[in-house]
Amino acid sequence: MAGPLIEIEDLRRHYVVGGEVVHALDGVSFSIQRGEWVAIVGQSGSGKSTLMNLVGCLDTPTSGTYRLAGADVQGLHDDALADLRNREIGFVFQTFQLLPRASALANVELPLVYRGVSRRERRARAEAALVSVGLANRMHHRPNELSGGQRQRVAVARALVGEPSLLLADEPTGNLDSATGEEIMRLFDDLHRRGHTLLLVTHEPRLAARCPRAIRLSDGRVVGDGPGAEIAALGAARTARA
Amino acid sequence: MSALRPRLVRATAEIAEGARIAVFALTGARLRSFLTTLGIVIGVMTVIAIVAIIQGLDRSFEAQMANLGANTLYANKWKWFTGADEWWEMRNRKNFGLPELHAVEAESTLATAVAPMAGQRALVTRLDKEIENVQVIGTSPRYLDTNGGSVAQGRFLSDPDVELSRNSAVLGADVAQRLFEGMRAEDAVGRKVMVRGIPFTVVGTMARRGRMLGMDLDVNVLVPYTTLLRDLGSRRSMTIAVATEPGKMSALEDELTGILRRVRRVPPEKKDDFALNRQDQVLKLYGQLTGALYGVAVGVGLITLVVGGIGIMNIMLVSVTERTREIGVRRALGARRRTILLQFLVESSVVAALGGAVGTALGLAVAQLVALVTPLAAAVTPSAVALGLGFSAGVGLLFGSWPAWRAARLDPVEALRYE
Repeated sequence: MAGPLIEIEDLRRHYVVGGEVVHALDGVSFSIQRGEWVAIVGQSGSGKSTLMNLVGCLDTPTSGTYRLAGADVQGLHDDALADLRNREIGFVFQTFQLLPRASALANVELPLVYRGVSRRERRARAEAALVSVGLANRMHHRPNELSGGQRQRVAVARALVGEPSLLLADEPTGNLDSATGEEIMRLFDDLHRRGHTLLLVTHEPRLAARCPRAIRLSDGRVVGDGPGAEIAALGAARTARA
Repeated sequence: MSALRPRLVRATAEIAEGARIAVFALTGARLRSFLTTLGIVIGVMTVIAIVAIIQGLDRSFEAQMANLGANTLYANKWKWFTGADEWWEMRNRKNFGLPELHAVEAESTLATAVAPMAGQRALVTRLDKEIENVQVIGTSPRYLDTNGGSVAQGRFLSDPDVELSRNSAVLGADVAQRLFEGMRAEDAVGRKVMVRGIPFTVVGTMARRGRMLGMDLDVNVLVPYTTLLRDLGSRRSMTIAVATEPGKMSALEDELTGILRRVRRVPPEKKDDFALNRQDQVLKLYGQLTGALYGVAVGVGLITLVVGGIGIMNIMLVSVTERTREIGVRRALGARRRTILLQFLVESSVVAALGGAVGTALGLAVAQLVALVTPLAAAVTPSAVALGLGFSAGVGLLFGSWPAWRAARLDPVEALRYE
């Protein structure tokens, strides 16, 4: 398919807090091609969460344009946004966000339920997704019977099962020890090699450094866009200066 | 087809999901679920029990009504079912007696049968056995035509019994059974019993008739009215039962009014000083009575269902708050607002319907219990069960809608962040 997967131009998101306007995103522009692995890196308060919500179609911008897979997102109705999330976005959250009372398999099936896929096909695709993240023998366990790393793998399987255009990971290693976090990062490496488009939102330069490309946000603006290692170093330098 | 099928699959999957969550919530937090649905359980139980008892009453009442002739007028100075104020006025009226009886017998053209019913309460004994407070009815052979009933053993009163004022008696089923306990039924015929110390010969016994409106129709003794008036005397007003052909009740009423006004010398400007009672009056009274009961049942049921509904709403609000993050996740994964709404509506109606099912079962059990320990009957109809289940599910739907709506309009970003 021609054209970038994500095209963002002069994207702004303002909040009114206590009568005061907060410019969480203050004119952000960038685009991401299919198959890229990009980190959005920034301190807390830099606007990266706001950006993630907009890219994930969970929120709508105050102004600016956002095109996902060639389609304008701003101005879409709530139902249309829900359908777009279902088709195009796979979310991986810091706190896993699995349904506690459902088995791994049922959790992974959920996006397909909302897409109206038949029960048999749901089952088959969810099983395949769990196999692909290395959980072939944990399918019927509930989240509380799984380790943190395994839970995040279930979440990744859930994000992949609908074959979305974009995998959107918000601090995916934030609740994991470093060894397990590394496992998840290697899983992402692997997915990248298989052609998935990944967007990693993190505050850790160390993780951004692993990505082929990183975009640094500060005070709601893009302050750096380039190879992950460079951008991470930029941040490190700034931190060192400060 | 291609557009419809995924939607159908999606809708059924969503409903199944909602039901599964509901069942899980119920089994996972048993005490809470129990308390939540208690209101519904009690409400449905009450309504089902009352409805079952009323329907049981209806059935036994229908059976009892067969004991009153549908085409019979009961003339007396007393009007049935009246208040205290009228009672005094009626008490002072002239008693019905033989002049009225003879006038109706002689003059009515529409009557197919006329039977007097002169009542007395008396002690009836045989050897060492005695029964107090037996209804002794002085009547004629026409009694069977006006009041129904049939002879079990021996014969009924005959015209010679009446003309000769014989001391003949036909015993009600209970009286026969108790006085001749341990004997064969047919052996009662021909034996003597004492009514208020006066010997009577048993000529027959009546078949069992059951109860009507609290009166036991089997605890009575039928004797010729002539004998009753001669030997036992009667200070009470006599009832004259007049039967006619179907469809002639109104005409008979007019005719009897004329005859009775004349024989009782009611001046034209005065109102009747007697009443022509009929089965319809009983039906009407019964209708009012059960109507009131139904009203009470509906009222109690509605109140408890509202209370139960508030319980459901309360727990659903808690459930929505507890599962805010889950709602956020579902929204992120592609659930529309409608989907979330549906999920919570299904959950609340399933919870309520399960409460309703328990309530229905308990209500039927209560009705059976009442039927066992009281003379009331209980009838269970499928409509009552459907009503209980439908009502409770409706309550769940109604009271679950606000929490469900709140769940559906949660902002996905905030829901995901919710701690």
